[in-house]
Amino acid sequence: MAVETRAVARPAAKARPRPKREREEEVLVWPDLVFVEFIAAVLFTITFLMLSVFINAPLLNRANPELTPNPSKAPWYFLNLQELLLHMDKAWAGVLLPTIALGFFASIPYVDRSREAQGVWFGSKNAVRLTLVSAAYSVIMIAALVSFDAGDRTYAETLTRWIPSCNAEAQHQGTPCLQDAEGEAHTGLLSTKDISKRLEFSVPFPNFLGVDDGNLDWPRDLDRIPVPFNNICGNVGSFHLWCDMNLNIPSIMAEQVIPLSTVAGLALAIIYVLFRVGWLRTKRDLFIVMFTSVLVAYLALSMVGSFFRGEGQNLIWPWEIKVDEG
Amino acid sequence: MAVTEDPGKPRNLAERVQRLQDRVYSAIFHNYVWQSIFRSGYPNTPRNQMLVVATNIFLHLHPTRIHRTHVKITHTYCLGGLTFFMFLILTVTGVLLMFYYVPSVDSAYQDIAALETNVKFGLLMRNMHRWTAHAMVILVFLHMMRVFYTGAYKPPREFNWVVGVILLVLTLVLSFTGYLLPWDQLALWAVTVGHGIGGSAPFFGDETQLIVFGGFEVGPSTLIRFYTLHVIALPIIAAVFMSVHFWRIRRDGGMARPL
Repeated sequence: MAVETRAVARPAAKARPRPKREREEEVLVWPDLVFVEFIAAVLFTITFLMLSVFINAPLLNRANPELTPNPSKAPWYFLNLQELLLHMDKAWAGVLLPTIALGFFASIPYVDRSREAQGVWFGSKNAVRLTLVSAAYSVIMIAALVSFDAGDRTYAETLTRWIPSCNAEAQHQGTPCLQDAEGEAHTGLLSTKDISKRLEFSVPFPNFLGVDDGNLDWPRDLDRIPVPFNNICGNVGSFHLWCDMNLNIPSIMAEQVIPLSTVAGLALAIIYVLFRVGWLRTKRDLFIVMFTSVLVAYLALSMVGSFFRGEGQNLIWPWEIKVDEG
Repeated sequence: MAVTEDPGKPRNLAERVQRLQDRVYSAIFHNYVWQSIFRSGYPNTPRNQMLVVATNIFLHLHPTRIHRTHVKITHTYCLGGLTFFMFLILTVTGVLLMFYYVPSVDSAYQDIAALETNVKFGLLMRNMHRWTAHAMVILVFLHMMRVFYTGAYKPPREFNWVVGVILLVLTLVLSFTGYLLPWDQLALWAVTVGHGIGGSAPFFGDETQLIVFGGFEVGPSTLIRFYTLHVIALPIIAAVFMSVHFWRIRRDGGMARPL
């Protein structure tokens, strides 16, 4: 009885074409998919067979621990980490940043939980332009930062040449100045690391904390700042407790704080700009920008390491690279 | 459709050829031995085409039917499948290389040099192994990009994306451990760079070098460690994660598709 009542109450269905049922949109895996897979496998087999016939895998001289090639390079997929080593602290470049990047990749689906725009290429509204802009931005910024850190070869040091010169024995320079070696022409910052090596300045400071002349000098008064409990020595199990551990503030600034905040700042800048322009609206948009930037940076750094690093890891043109086998 | 009527004598040559074809076909695909191996009939009817996928251990990674958008090449460019295919080629060529290679500092380099000159197709196998290894790393990245830009990591496929990230790391480590094995200058110094990077880990730098590389410099113990990791440990771990990866594609409802 109840069934009949509901059936009467329901409005008459509008005449519209019947949507195709799921089954009618499906094809058989054999042959429609298996055939495609088979062709792909055959094409790749032939390609790599041909490649292997014509191009030999490299085999240099027998390994010799006494003979270090210059430059020695990691495999291309780790060359980006080796490239980062030139610009920042080794723990960040080699271990912490890659770990953070992998953690970021793994966490993407747990933060962006929307179900929209899946199953189609660049399914959300601004996906293509976000991808292109962040890829281009990433390449340009990598190029700029790498150039800055090779100041003498890219003339990037001229940007900071306005900082006055001071000789190596200079003490208590009130305003910042850059040390120049004896007899050398004045140059600006050759790399970020110069901030802890060649930059000098001082500020008036009361007489304590090892400052005994009333002036706090950068870098020489700051390179041995004791950490709390730095007199605890010994081992617990296989772990070394620190012993006489002091912080080198200038090098922490030059190799950790400045490089990392530059990277973070550049990332936040592009995200902010894209947000203000109105292209970046959802978490998916945010992740498109971040994923693209990280991946393109990974690739770009590998390219720099492969094609633009010569003897002594100096920045040079690809056609100038010569490997000194030792 | 059971054949009940007598077909009679062939009337012309075409029919004669047709009869011959049928008889050969029947002899190959309808005999006792063939049917003991392949339970389903020859896949020339929809029923048999589904059965052949469902009853074959290798093909049953697939469903029997699939949405028509998924067989378009541009949907995936076959990138995940090709990555797996590279893994298979690497397994085959790798096993062949193992026949001629002894992982000791004294003989490793000579073994590779001899493999290139004295062993039939030895150079070809080594080249294949090298180039497909590079290709696998590239394909893993391309596959990851495909999955990301098609939004295929979204619910319910979150965990499979994480498994994919693990497989990316495993692929890189597999490639890196293999890099040392020829024991030439390229291998030694590339791994020395990696050794330095591993040693820069905060707090665990020394432990990383001791456990992963077997010492504070790249030497005989590094070679045997990398060899063991490269030929048995990492491939097995990767195979386990791949099984999970493929299994989860099916469990999570096949490939991603617009809602």
